[in-house]
Amino acid sequence: MRRGSAVVKRFSFVLNGKPVEVEVPPAYTLLETLRNVLHLTGTKDGCGDGDCGACTVLLDGRAVHSCLTLMAQVEGRSVTTVEGLLRDSSPDEVQSAYAESGAVQCGYCTPGLIMATKALLMSNPNPSVEEVKEALRGNLCRCTGYAKILEAVLRVRR
Amino acid sequence: MLLYDIDVITPSSLDEALEILSSRKGRIKVVAGGTDLIIQMKDGIIPRRDLLNIYGLDELRYIKLDDNDMIRIGALTSFSEIASSETIRHYAKILADAASTIGSIQIMNKASIGGNIVNASPAADSLPPLYALGAVVRVASSRGSREVPIESFYRGYKKLDLAEDELVCEVRLRAMSDDEDGIFLKHGLRLGDAIAVVNAAIWVRRDSRSGLFSDARVALGAVAPTVVRARRCEQLIISKKLDEDSMWNAAKAVLESISPIDDVRGSAEYRREMSVNLVYMGLWELTHRSG
Repeated sequence: MRRGSAVVKRFSFVLNGKPVEVEVPPAYTLLETLRNVLHLTGTKDGCGDGDCGACTVLLDGRAVHSCLTLMAQVEGRSVTTVEGLLRDSSPDEVQSAYAESGAVQCGYCTPGLIMATKALLMSNPNPSVEEVKEALRGNLCRCTGYAKILEAVLRVRR
Repeated sequence: MLLYDIDVITPSSLDEALEILSSRKGRIKVVAGGTDLIIQMKDGIIPRRDLLNIYGLDELRYIKLDDNDMIRIGALTSFSEIASSETIRHYAKILADAASTIGSIQIMNKASIGGNIVNASPAADSLPPLYALGAVVRVASSRGSREVPIESFYRGYKKLDLAEDELVCEVRLRAMSDDEDGIFLKHGLRLGDAIAVVNAAIWVRRDSRSGLFSDARVALGAVAPTVVRARRCEQLIISKKLDEDSMWNAAKAVLESISPIDDVRGSAEYRREMSVNLVYMGLWELTHRSG
């Protein structure tokens, strides 16, 4: 019986380009580890059920829900969060485009949307409007009505 | 509910995974992508058990077309990989279409076909195409491996023909040839990321001389404890000239095969009506495509 006393294991992975090690329960989610252990709070905890997309990060370059990813699934892989997009403390082109287009209101969905956008542009640098809508369909925003978000993504198309 | 007190064991090979399943029979639960299992465990829908994390077993990630025109899909292959696979899009298009509607990109990147099969949701989007294409599931244990036709893999609501020490390793289907056609249909409440209210897959073989369907399979999901074949409907479209009336009659015959329930996504009555409408839409589309 281990009820009440957590199992703790050591996990190594690459976070925003740098190797990290954490000691956490293996069923801790990546979201919990990022926010509560590594204090990277850019990744947001929305629904916790894989519906809203606020917790989106890149796992080996692909958009996934960090709330539905166990630390045991992260071992040895590469994770990119919204903090990892900064270049010399400056926002990257996707972050800048969201700001310049005013694609942000309350801001809670923004990191997830930016990471989903990043994943899209890495695999398809010049997406059509339909492809943008497809790629962002799992990210809910309750403020903007999506028009400015779409505008921001189209702004960074090649 | 949080999962801090659950241990997760990560095997480094399929053989090791099968050994662990064998030694901890029934006391460990397999996690693949985890996109549904983690929610179910957090919400207390399934018992909290230690997890066998097979997510890293890349030997179960592949899509192959072999010399006998069989498509073999490794159990851990993600729906993103299935939806974008040239092989699947060309030779099992209805499965590619279903894969691309499973959920958001985030879900498709992580969720696997093996996970969808074993999770056994009656609304699982990959299952009607697998029924319609006559897929076969390969399961393995440290005792050996065996193959089970997808239809006999399900014995009731979330009841599988899968022993506690067995793991689903592969799903196999025959590549569709030029005289075959099919369609996947899904009615969900949100385009981006929704569980189906009703889903359906229709597979047909066209007789090149008569233009009629010489064979057909119709499968529906979310309208019974398991995915079901609509056999009466199939009889009414095989070797029959299909016009408006006969298509509606065949579509209405699906009611003999389904037993939907009321739930948050729709009432039983709504599901009955949508089942008929979806199958009619599918038949209309297939009869209006040039063969």
